[in-house]
Amino acid sequence: MTAWTLFYNPITLSFYGELWLLLPLCAAVGVVYKTIRIHHLRRLPREVLFLVLYMVAGLVLLSVGLWLVQEYWP
Amino acid sequence: MAKQSKKSSPLPFLALLLACAVPGAGHVYLGRVQRGIIIFLTISALFWSGVAIGGVFTMDPVQERWWFVAEMLTGVHGLIGWHRQKAAREHLESVEGDSPDEKMEKEKIALVTPADTAARGYAGVAGLLNLLCTFDALMLSIMGVRGEPAPEDEKRKQKAEAARS
Repeated sequence: MTAWTLFYNPITLSFYGELWLLLPLCAAVGVVYKTIRIHHLRRLPREVLFLVLYMVAGLVLLSVGLWLVQEYWP
Repeated sequence: MAKQSKKSSPLPFLALLLACAVPGAGHVYLGRVQRGIIIFLTISALFWSGVAIGGVFTMDPVQERWWFVAEMLTGVHGLIGWHRQKAAREHLESVEGDSPDEKMEKEKIALVTPADTAARGYAGVAGLLNLLCTFDALMLSIMGVRGEPAPEDEKRKQKAEAARS
């Protein structure tokens, strides 16, 4: 029996816990993408915020669409 | 003040090498220091968050080869993760048990669903983001761009001066 160590042992996640981890992932994608794309860095927070909102909204719409297909497709 | 100049052209190979090895280093080499630091911090945080979620076997070249390839695109982070994974695998050989899976269970390092998806997703996406940044640094260096882009009004002035001369 060994003690739990960060970066060595995995953490236990629930399915819904995993879904919340999408937000930091979207934020990281948004930050890196906008960092290389935008002209002025001072506009970075605003641009990232909008991009993350677009991504999350797109994911929610996609998931709702797929759920509808799964539930009601004959 | 904008510092964009095309006088001393950067070396594309060096930009490529630096960007591959350390996330953001390609941009720092091109004079885009702030962008390089942001890229480094974001990609590092994403990769190590993945390893924190999934543990040492987030990087597994044996069972998850394609995720491993994506994770290795983070450069130095991938190398550290791979080295730690190899050390853990060597340690497992000294643990009593019949199969590797049983040994991993005993050491509590077996990566199971749903943590494996999140962990490898984070670390793999970090690698793919670094690939994007590497491509950007390479393209900028091929175009001979150094430093931050000039502000719009300054660009207009430069164009007007060029038209006058």
